[in-house]
Amino acid sequence: MTHEEFLEKFQDVLQAEDPLGMDTVLEDLDEWDSLARMATVAFLDSDFGVQATFEDFTTMKTVADVARKAGIAS
Amino acid sequence: MTAPAGERLYLVTGASSGIGKGIALRLCGLGARVVAIGRDADRLGELAQECGCPERIHPEIRDLAADIELLPQYVKGLKEKYGKFHGMVSCAGISEIRPLQILKYENGKRIFDINYFAPLMLAKGLLDRRHNVGRGTSLVFIASIEAHLADKGMSFYAGSKAALIASVRSISREVAASGVRVNAISPGDILTPMTAAVEGMRNDRSHLYPLGFGTVDDVAALAVFLLSDEAKWITGQNYILDGGHL
Repeated sequence: MTHEEFLEKFQDVLQAEDPLGMDTVLEDLDEWDSLARMATVAFLDSDFGVQATFEDFTTMKTVADVARKAGIAS
Repeated sequence: MTAPAGERLYLVTGASSGIGKGIALRLCGLGARVVAIGRDADRLGELAQECGCPERIHPEIRDLAADIELLPQYVKGLKEKYGKFHGMVSCAGISEIRPLQILKYENGKRIFDINYFAPLMLAKGLLDRRHNVGRGTSLVFIASIEAHLADKGMSFYAGSKAALIASVRSISREVAASGVRVNAISPGDILTPMTAAVEGMRNDRSHLYPLGFGTVDDVAALAVFLLSDEAKWITGQNYILDGGHL
């Protein structure tokens, strides 16, 4: 999956009005609530086979961090 | 009652006949715009003529059993075409009487596709916060009294409607923080042109309903109330509407 494809998919997961960038800070998004975290964990599992927990969000601060967790090369 | 009217936009499935048509007509009569989804172009055309305000009815021909996975994208397309939605009433469904002896997995899958998966995937599209107006958005799913009964031969149908009601509760929790509400209605036997013609139904089941059989208007009235701001503290509920049957 390319960076562009990931950004598009993750935007749909978060239902974000504006396009995401790799440097977007998750906490800066209005859409970043507990349900969005839950959806992100499920997204990593279903689309990338990556197990994540809510604790991972202490280190995953940006969209790029989520992409790295998904195994998408930076 | 505060009408869910005035420039509001609703999506109604199964709009070409029966309960769906009645709800579409009532919403249109209150001044709302309705994206009316059905499979029959002629009957959707009749709906637009019958409501007396064809400019507020937007007919969309679609078989909801086809490409269910793509229904969220379909709703996205409708939003781009008509604007953000204030809500949806999901009426499209099928009913089959199938005793165990002739139960087939394929039939069950089709019933669940139409009665359960399609409504939920439409809801997924409409509940995407980019596709609705946010606070005040209301969804109503037409379930069935069969989800609460134990009638013979209704195992797949009853199961699909019970599943719908259970999912309504779960989804209502997911979207409550956005001020979005999700409810279900479980009607009993409703007299429609089709059922009225069935002599057996009138004779065999009338004693079950102390207030008589229901009408499309009975269901439409409750659906429109649940869509309105008058119902702003109601979510995750399922209303049994059955003239005192249960």
